[in-house]
Amino acid sequence: MGIIKHRAILTLCSLVFILSTNVNARPISWPGGNTYMYKSDATKTSKNYHYSPSYKYSIGVEFVNDKYFTEEYINFRGTYLLDRRNTKKSQRNFYITGALSGKSSNNFFYGAHGDWETRRFFTSISYINRYTKLKNYTEKELQFGVAPYLGEYGDIHTWVMIKAKRNTINDNWETYPFIKLFTGDYMVEIGNKNSHWDLHFMARF
Amino acid sequence: MNKILLLTLILISQISYAEKNHDSHSNEGSHDMSKDKKIDGSKYKINTKRYTDFIKDLSDVQIAIVDVKGMVCDFCARGIAKTFYKDVAVIKVDVDLEKGKVFIAYSKSVKIDFEDIKDKITKNGQTATTMQIKKL
Repeated sequence: MGIIKHRAILTLCSLVFILSTNVNARPISWPGGNTYMYKSDATKTSKNYHYSPSYKYSIGVEFVNDKYFTEEYINFRGTYLLDRRNTKKSQRNFYITGALSGKSSNNFFYGAHGDWETRRFFTSISYINRYTKLKNYTEKELQFGVAPYLGEYGDIHTWVMIKAKRNTINDNWETYPFIKLFTGDYMVEIGNKNSHWDLHFMARF
Repeated sequence: MNKILLLTLILISQISYAEKNHDSHSNEGSHDMSKDKKIDGSKYKINTKRYTDFIKDLSDVQIAIVDVKGMVCDFCARGIAKTFYKDVAVIKVDVDLEKGKVFIAYSKSVKIDFEDIKDKITKNGQTATTMQIKKL
């Protein structure tokens, strides 16, 4: 009983303090906003659409091609903004997120994501627990970025980033640089690690 | 690596806390600067060039210059512009990311309601603190 309670506390701490998935960009749009995301890395490719009824949460669907387990499935996912702190020069966010697979009740994930950002610096941290029929595993990710110049509203904005991520399948940290560009309602991230390309595209409408 | 995760989280919290305290000195409320013939960017802490570009094709309007917290990126500000453009009384919107301001041009017949502006910005996830009004 003690172990179960201990695990529950750890899980709750994970949700509240450290956080979720592969959410690299803001996982929630403006009220009434729609978002399309395409993401591809060494382990999976996903196409994700979500709708944000308010700035506090989003709901959506994700089509996943899991390269590691060679399977395809659909996730019904949601993200909730647990806390936000606005200051004149920064914004800090804590999100919790989760998804249920349409393929099997054994397929789901939950986790959390936190970020802090100024116009010059960006940092984020995420943690996710994934459950599948074949294997359960966790993913952790850290990001740090610097804007080499400060663009104004409507300009092309550039971030030079570094990402460190680890999952318990490979059980080692991978660290590599990537670049993030966005303008208007569009964003692209491109990175490369050991000949694998990380690509992330997002459009809001 | 777990220690690095924890340290990063603590760092984020501490920086946010420090900035919150720093910002607590800012004043809330609105200020009518309708008698000002020309905006002095340094006095009102706006990007003068951005404001000049904003008003160059406008006349017979009133401009709400709103101070906003949390507007640190272009993506954050997109929703604000989209929200205000849904208001039929709004003629034009622009964002001054450098100074953290939103410029909103209204027709002169409209009474600008700071509470309504604050509400719209809050619902977008940012925080409006002060407003100045300039009549052209």
